[in-house]
Formats: sequence, C-alpha cells, structure tokens
Amino acid sequence: MSELWQALAQGVLIGSTYGLLALGMGLVYGVSGIVNFAHGDFISLAMFMCLALFSAFSLDPYVSALITIPVMMAIGALVYRLLLRPMIGYKFLMVVQLTLGLSLVLQNGILMIFGGQPARTPSVVESKLIILGEVVLRLPHLIACVVAFVMAIGLYIMLRSTDFGRSIRAVHQNAHAAALMGVDVGRVQVMTFAMGLGILAVAAALLLPGTPIQPSQGLQYTVITLLVVVLGGMTNFVGIMLGGLVIGISEALGTVYVSDTLGRLVPYAIFVLIMLFRPQGLSWRAS
Amino acid sequence: MIKDDFFKTLGSPWLWGIVVLAALSPLVLTSYHMHILTIALVYVALASAWNIVGGMSGQISLAHSLFIGTGAMLSSALLVKLGINMWAGLVISAVVAGMLGAIIAWIDFRFQLGHLSFVLITLAFGEMAGIVVEGWDFLGGASGLLLPRDVGNILQFQFGGGRGAFWVMLGLATFIVLVNVAILNSPLGYYLRTIRDNERAAQAIGVNVLRHKTIAMVISAVLTSIVGTAYVRYLTFADPYLLASPVITIEIVLFATVGGLGRAYGPALGALLLVPLGELLRGKLGGAVPGLHYFIYGIVVIVVILATPSGLLPLLEKIIWRRRAKGLSHDGEQFGGRRGQ
Amino acid sequence: MLEVQGLVAGYGGVPVLHDLSLTLAAGEFVGLLGANNAGKTTLINSLSGLVAPMAGRILFDGQDVSRATARERVELGIIQVPEGRLVFPEMSVRENLLLGGFCDRARPHRPQQLEKVLALFPRLKERLPQPAGTLSGGEQQMLAIGRGLMAEARVLMLDEPSLGLSPLFVQYIFGIIDQLHKDGLTMLLVEQNLNLTLRYAERCYVLERGHVAVEGAAEVVKSDPRTRQAYLGL
Repeated sequence: MSELWQALAQGVLIGSTYGLLALGMGLVYGVSGIVNFAHGDFISLAMFMCLALFSAFSLDPYVSALITIPVMMAIGALVYRLLLRPMIGYKFLMVVQLTLGLSLVLQNGILMIFGGQPARTPSVVESKLIILGEVVLRLPHLIACVVAFVMAIGLYIMLRSTDFGRSIRAVHQNAHAAALMGVDVGRVQVMTFAMGLGILAVAAALLLPGTPIQPSQGLQYTVITLLVVVLGGMTNFVGIMLGGLVIGISEALGTVYVSDTLGRLVPYAIFVLIMLFRPQGLSWRAS
Repeated sequence: MIKDDFFKTLGSPWLWGIVVLAALSPLVLTSYHMHILTIALVYVALASAWNIVGGMSGQISLAHSLFIGTGAMLSSALLVKLGINMWAGLVISAVVAGMLGAIIAWIDFRFQLGHLSFVLITLAFGEMAGIVVEGWDFLGGASGLLLPRDVGNILQFQFGGGRGAFWVMLGLATFIVLVNVAILNSPLGYYLRTIRDNERAAQAIGVNVLRHKTIAMVISAVLTSIVGTAYVRYLTFADPYLLASPVITIEIVLFATVGGLGRAYGPALGALLLVPLGELLRGKLGGAVPGLHYFIYGIVVIVVILATPSGLLPLLEKIIWRRRAKGLSHDGEQFGGRRGQ
Repeated sequence: MLEVQGLVAGYGGVPVLHDLSLTLAAGEFVGLLGANNAGKTTLINSLSGLVAPMAGRILFDGQDVSRATARERVELGIIQVPEGRLVFPEMSVRENLLLGGFCDRARPHRPQQLEKVLALFPRLKERLPQPAGTLSGGEQQMLAIGRGLMAEARVLMLDEPSLGLSPLFVQYIFGIIDQLHKDGLTMLLVEQNLNLTLRYAERCYVLERGHVAVEGAAEVVKSDPRTRQAYLGL
C-alpha cells in the first residue's frame, strides 16, 4: 500500500514538471502554430549550460538558473527571428522538419562539447529526503513540484490579468483581430517563444539535481512533452497541467506495478486510450 | 482506369535510362560508394512507400516503424528462431504488416482522429512497438538478432551482399516509385487527394473514406514491410534500435517532406540527396569528433529547408519551367507537363 | 483627413485594387459600396496596414503612412471594426473591451473610456463577464464597435456591420453609428446594403472590381444608373 502512495507521490512530483515543460510548448503553439520538435534538446541545452556553470564556477543549478533563464530567452528570440519567422505560411510539416534539423544541431553540438558520457551536476539539495508518513520524497523532486505549480499559477495570472497576457491570448484566438487592436503580432510571437525557452530553463534546473544527463535524451523529453500537450488539448492551461500529472503518475505506476520494460508502455497506452475516447483531451472550459 | 500519364512514364526513356545507368553503376563504383547508394535506395523505397499515406492521404503516420520492424524483426525471428525460410518470412511479415495497417486505418476512422491526434497516436504506437520488441526475447529483445551469413543463395533470400543487394534495392525502389506514379494517376490517387484536402467534404460527396484510407495504408504497410525484410537481410543484423524505433520513421518523413510531399519523385529526391550526404559526412568526420557529422547534417537540413520551404521537387520544377518558358517555340509546345507526378 | 492616392494593392502579387483614389474629410461620414469582390475589404485592410500597397499612397493628416505598420496605424487613430465582428471568443466582454484600448495612446484613459462605452451599450454592461463567443450576433457587433471606440478612434472604419443581424438590430446599430457621427466622429462605412448606407452617409464611393465606378453625394450616387450596374456586374 505504501508502494502505491510512493508511486503516486513520485508521479505527481515529476508530472508537475512535465506539465510545466508542456506549458511552454502549448503557449508557442497557440501563438505561432509551431510545434517545436527540438523542445527536448533545448532542455538539454539548458541542463548542460548549468553543468558548464558548475564546472567553471561551482554554481549550484538553482543558482545558475538565474543565468540560464535570460540566456535561453535570448537564444529563443534569435532562433525564432532567424529560423522560424521566415517559415510562416509554409507547410506545418516543413517547419517541424526544420526544428528536427535544429534538434540534430543542438544534440550534437552538446555531444561535441561535452562528450557522450552521462554526467551529473551536484546540488546541495541532492541527497536530502523528506519523509511524509510512509512516503519518502527526494527534496529536489519536491522543490521541482512546488516551483512548477507556482510558475504555472504565475503564468496563468499573467495571461489573465496583464495586458501582455491578454495580447498573447488575443493573438492565439484571432491574430487578425489582435493586429487591428494595435497588438504587434510578430513581437508577441517572438516574446512567447523566448518565454517558452525561459520556462524550459527553469524546468531544466528543476530536473537537474540528482539526474544524470546525456546529449541523446532530447528526443525523449520532446516526446513526453508532446504527449502532455496533446493530452491537455494543446492550449488549455488546466488540461496541460492535468495531462502532466496523468503522464507522470502512469509512468510511476507503470514502473512499479508492471515489469520495468513493459511499464514504460503504460503512459503511451493511457495516452492512446484517452485520446481515442476523448478527442479533445483533458481540456477544461476556459482557455 | 489508370491515366495515360502512367503508361507514358512507364515507357519514358528518361526513367529507364536513369535506372539502367544506376544498375550499371556497381561496375564503376567502389564497394564503399555502392554501399552508400544501396542505403540511399533503401530510404528511397521507404520514403516513397510512406508517401502513399503521409503525402497523398495527408496522414502523417509515425507508426511506420511498426511495418519496418515487422518486415525486419519478425522475418528475422522466424528464420533464426524457427528456421522458417525468409521468403516465407517475407510474405508472413507483409501480411502481418498489412493487418496492422488496416487496424490503424480503422482506428483512425472509428475514432475520427484529427491530423495532430493521428500523428501523436501513431507515434505512441511506434514507441510502444519499440518497447515491446526490446522486451520480447522471440523478437531478439534488446540485443537484436544475427542472421546467417549471406552467401548468395537465392532460395534462402540471400543476394550475396554487395551488388546483388544493390540491384534488389534498386528494383524495389524503382517499383515503389512506379507504384506512386500509378496511384497518383488512378482514381485511388484522386480520392486520396480529396480526402487529404478536406475529409468532410470528400465524405459529403460520397467518397468512401474508410475504404480508400485503408487501401492506402495497407499498400504502404506491405511495401514498407517488404523493404524492411530486404534491408535486414542486407545488414545481416536485426538491430531493434534502428529498425523498430520511431527514429527511422522520423528520418523517412524528413526525406519525403524535404523532397516534396505527395509527389511521386519527391521522397526519392529527398532521400537521394540527404542519405548520401549523411553517410559521406559520417565517413569523413564521424571518427574524429563524435557528433560533428550529425551537427553539420543538421545545419544542412536547416539551410535546405530555409532555401526551399516548399520542397526540393517544386523548386526544381520551377527552374525547369522557367527554362522551358523561355525556350517556348512558335508552334506552342504542349503545356501541362507530367501530371500526377 | 484621410487621402488615398492611386492605390494598387492585393494579395500574393495579384492586385485587387487598381489605381484607387478617395478622400475622407474630418467629421465626414463616407460610405463604401460595391458587390462582393469589388475590393472593399482589401481597401479597408490596406488602410489598417494589413495589406501592403504595391503602388500609390495613403495620407493621414497630410502625412504619408503607406509604410506604417498595423500597430502604428492604430496609434494614429485609424481603427477598424472588422467584417464578421471577430471578437475574441474565449475572452470576456470586459477583456475584449480592455484589448480595444490596448494601444499606448488609449491605454491611460482606459477606465474612463470603458465607462463611456458601457453607457453607450448598456446591454454589454449586463454581459461583462460573459465569454464573447456566447453573445448573439447583434451583441457581438455592439462589442466590436465598443472595442473600436475604446481605442479613441480618429477615423472609425466599419466593415459590413449589418451582416447577419436582424432588421431590428440593424436599426439599433445604425442609430448608434449615426449618433457617433453626429458627435463628431469621422466614419468610413463599408456595406453591401445600398439603401441603408445611402440613408446615413453623406458621400459615397461605389467600387467595382477594384476601381471607383461612381462617387459623389449620397443622393447623386443613389440615382446614378452606373451604381446598379456595378452591383449587378453588367
């Protein structure tokens, strides 16, 4: 029984971070109609940046986030302006292929600089444990969960109550009308993409402590993020966070209750079942 | 039933000229270059087979690794574990692949999957298949299956590696491209394109969506599986990470898209450009700094796409048309070119 | 105030408007008439900066704004109430109105402007928290016009406001439009409905396949046989 609670807790913790990752992708999709298949590799990039900052200055990942966030945002703005904006109007699939090319560049660029061996980035909180009743939680996971939820709520408030947030929603709901209101649609798209990468930088710092990283992990993260985004209804905030939890929990339960290899099937199977019987995913009413 | 253009293509001296040239190339190429060309032809075949579903029907399937995996892993397992002749294995795998394809097409129809859902669900299937293969000993598990050495015994589905395999792949690739041309010039192609452009409208005017999507998917699955079996024979080693994971599907989709989605020669163009490039890069740079060749490959892909955002084939056609328009003689050359390609 | 000189504009390299010229003086109410594909919406979108001119100029208060971005046009006070209303369906009435006042020029006075608009359209006040997508056609039109007013327009361009509305609502909306004009707002009205437009507009242009076929005072345009011709495509 405690196994179940443990798995559930684990699933919630990791699932909330998945949700955060997916929010970044959902925002970009809603505003620019682009699905970034290099998403996971940008996460890798942020993680390896933290690793580099640790090697050079002994910075804890949580601290290096202060540097990686603006750097990733700047990279995001650059990538969008140079690579993605020229593709507006062309086939969706072509843009996806472009991001795949980008994925190769990022993944192998990292490989060339850091080598292919898994590496760990130590953090002060790494080995600390929190014990709640029968459940043992690792502190980094707990921090990740809390920060993910705080950020999600923060994003939600920003979207609802600020002019910038409203302009993002306006561009998503009707870009033409938004332009008529004086919203600079192009600028919103660049900033949303940059913001997406900033969110990734946060998530990367959260996932880093205690996790070995390697350049080839990018695709895995991209696939999981895709599952969560689609499950959440693409642009539905609550849906996406819920989707993250569903995938996280099914992953955890799968590895615990089903054998280790077949357990990895569980999140995919759950995804397929939900999408078949509820095509709109887990989306909630509001946008 | 099938438009004249298909027969025109069938009798086209250009086409057969290129094929014959290609067939003769092993006589002048080094075995290394021939190997690269063989791999390229494999991908021409795979991408063209995928094109029937992804390009013509507009259904971006990421489940094709299932079909490749069936063709490769199942026939290998049947041979290695049960001693079943690979020709039989070829047929059995193709049938299984066809059934899997029909199931996927049915699921798509029954649950009215939107385009994005279809992509993700087929991706999920692809991932799941990869996990199943890795965990199932019969299919080789995580370590794959080693096939008996290729000594050229045709009855054992062996082509002697090298040239034999090259000619087999050339034949398969040519055949599948011709299948593309045939479909595009037939009623099926017409229905598929209407379904691609607007499925609801197609249904409203009486097109049997389920039937045609299923036919397309089954044809694609069967052809893909056959290529898978031939490919694994050439490699002599059935590697689950290569043949049963979504990665190979992603490559195929890349070639088909960059070359020209939905066109008969598009995927071939994409594969013939990018596969040799990738292999040559790996050969020249792979050893020195790991990752460099893929790094450059990725940059090339980005540059090619930014330069030809509509695909290579459309760009080539534009260039050819401009030349033709300039050289249009007074007697009014036949306009219309080669339709259905 | 607004002057279009020899405008050539279109989409994807194909011109829809050919050498089109018109003027709009401050405080005027000008109607833009014509059949379906005459180019009315293309003209309005050119004025709003969403369609780049291929040739010709657009002058506002004497300044050449032909190259100004859509955002800059809004800042100048050139505001469009688009065809089909195009409200933001999942945002509330209130949020839609707030977005109307998005531009830098209007934002400081937003709360006061909001009061004014709600006083003008009491029905919107009732529906303030409702998602705009749930409003009826007529209410959405009120919202779209209200949104335009939030931007403190100097020129208000309305594209087919009567489309899809019941006759009662059309009367109501046009009553409001007329009132706004009488209060001094410069207006450009695009409408397929001939008689409706001719009743309220002072001057009219009739477009036919991208050209100005007829222009002049409302009564003159009404009785000109070329007007009917332009509509029937003769």
